[in-house]
Formats: sequence, structure tokens, C-alpha cells
Amino acid sequence: MKIKKIFILALIFALIPASYALAHKVIIFAWVEDGMIHTESSFGSKSMAKNCTITVFDEKGRVVHKGITDQNGKYSFKIPEKIDSDLILKLDAGTGHQAKWKLSKKELISTPSKKDIQKAMKEKEELEKAPSVFKIAGGILIIFLLALAAKFLKRKRS
Amino acid sequence: MHISEGVLSGPVLISGAAMAIAGTAIGLKKINYDRIVHVAILSSAFFVASLIHVNIGPSSVHLILNGIVGLLLGFAAIPAILTALLLQSVFFQFGGLTALGVNVVVMAFPAVLVHYIFLPLLGKSPRLTFIGGFLAGVVSILLSSLLLGLALWFTDKNFFETSLTIITAHIPVMIIEGIVTGFCVTFLLKVYPEIIPVKKNEN
Repeated sequence: MKIKKIFILALIFALIPASYALAHKVIIFAWVEDGMIHTESSFGSKSMAKNCTITVFDEKGRVVHKGITDQNGKYSFKIPEKIDSDLILKLDAGTGHQAKWKLSKKELISTPSKKDIQKAMKEKEELEKAPSVFKIAGGILIIFLLALAAKFLKRKRS
Repeated sequence: MHISEGVLSGPVLISGAAMAIAGTAIGLKKINYDRIVHVAILSSAFFVASLIHVNIGPSSVHLILNGIVGLLLGFAAIPAILTALLLQSVFFQFGGLTALGVNVVVMAFPAVLVHYIFLPLLGKSPRLTFIGGFLAGVVSILLSSLLLGLALWFTDKNFFETSLTIITAHIPVMIIEGIVTGFCVTFLLKVYPEIIPVKKNEN
């Protein structure tokens, strides 16, 4: 009986692929360097969004560029010519997963300073960070408080 | 499984929200308030389950656990899942806030259905309890995948292809959730049978 239980447990763990990570959201991050727009797309820190479509729109919603991310979730392209508007990069990661990133007109023409890069990297890290234990515990606490509130309201009404 | 912001069109979002509101209203009416702690426990389990995710192809799937929530809560699963999804969206950026209604329909409605189909199997025998739990896990994910395909149909235009992609991507999740749900209900029935709703005393 014990062996059977261990076997079933082993089976469960075998079914869970090794690449599991502790985050799940869709992120696209883009920056400009030497006339190129570089993008990095992921579902959180360790799982990159591979082979996903990136569509670039101008302010008026016209498609100005399209491309597909590589195995590392990266995709780079030359800044489209004659562009005088902000660019919106949309990542389509399939089955309802989508994210956007906006590059302003200013970012497209100016070379980023060290401070800009630092700020952008911080923003990227913040986006990719796995949810903190504090947030998880906070969420559970809120659920229980809501349940208590519901019970209290119900008792008051009846 | 969570639909992001900006994917769906207005009418789909509004229909989803209306259905979610109606479902939540029924759910709140049907909750047995003496057993509200069970609703909170299962809502918390659902809230945390999505943090365990698996990469498959270009997309990523994660544990959902709507099967066990639905199996044990019935209609009360709708407000439970709504609360958990709202918190996931705000705290973890899983799924868009505007798509909350559609996400509730996609994940909570199949959960309610499995309650009515598979609950009678629980407690009959250890084997049947496991099978009931396993099937609840599998069927809820299968139905959720179909509903997700249906919601995306209006934007992707290709219902069968989209649904097939989603279902294929979720096959590992179906198996894992089936096993997890099967074990959970078998275990709960042994150590905490009060959480398993008996007939006419729906939670």
C-alpha cells in the first residue's frame, strides 16, 4: 500500500515539468539603442515568451511593424522610417495573453542617458518580480475578512 | 487561462460581466453562511494555485483548481472565484480587470457544473471518491478551455483552431488537476468530512 502511494506521488511530480516558475503574467519590455528597438517578452522572470507575435502601432493605430520573438523572448528591429509619433508595441502570447509597451516620440530620437537606463531596468525588474509572500498572505487575509464581513452582514439582516 | 486587458471586444466584456454578476448574486444567495469558512479556504486555495505555472509552447499554463472549488462549493464557487480572481488581477497582474467578468465565467461556471455532475460520486467508496474528484478536475479544465476558446472566438475568428490549441495546452493541467483534486477529496473525506457538502445541505 505504501509503495503504491509513493508511486502515485512520484507520478504527480513527474508530470509537473521542471520548468515551473513562481509567476504568471505577460510582460513586454522595450528600449531604444543605436537606432534599433529592442524588446524582451516574458511570463515573469524565468519563462520567456517564445515565438510570440509583436505588432507595432503608431498613435493612430496603424500597424507600422510586425515580428516574432525568438527562443529567448527577444526581438529587435530598426526604428521604422518617417515615424513622428509614439509607438505602441503589442505582444500577443496566444490564448488571451497580451501585453503592451509604449515608447514615446522622445525616446525614439534621443540617446538614453545612464539615469534613463537605470530607471528602465528598475521598472523591468519590478515587472518581472515574482509576487511577494506579503502580497500572497495579504490576499488570503482579505478573502477571510470578506467572508467574515459577509457573515456579519447576513446575520444583521436576518 | 486568465484573459489579459485589451484582448476582448466591448460586447464580449459586457456579456461576461453581466453573467458574472448574475452568477455571483445566485452564489451569494446559496452560500450557507454557517460554513463560510469553507468558502474562504477554497477561495484562498484558488488564489494561490495560479502561482504554480507550467510553460508549454509559446503560452504558459498554471494550476487553476476550479474543479475542487466548484465540487465542494456549488454555486458559492462563483463569488469565491470572483474574489480570488479580483485579488490575482490587482496583486499579481494576472488577467485584466476589465476582463474579470469573462474570466469568472470561464473559470467559475464549469466549476458549478462539475458540482452537480460529480458530487454524488463522493463518499460512495474510496475508489469512486477519487474518480469523482479526478473527473471534476479534468472536466472543469476542459470546459473552461472551451469557454476560453468561445470568448476568444470573437477576436480570433477561428473557434476550432483556437479551442484546440487551448485544450492541447491544458492537457497536462487537466491530468495534474485531476490527480490533485482526486487526492484532495479522498483525503478531506477522511480527515475533514464536514467540508464535503451532503445533499440538501449545499455549501
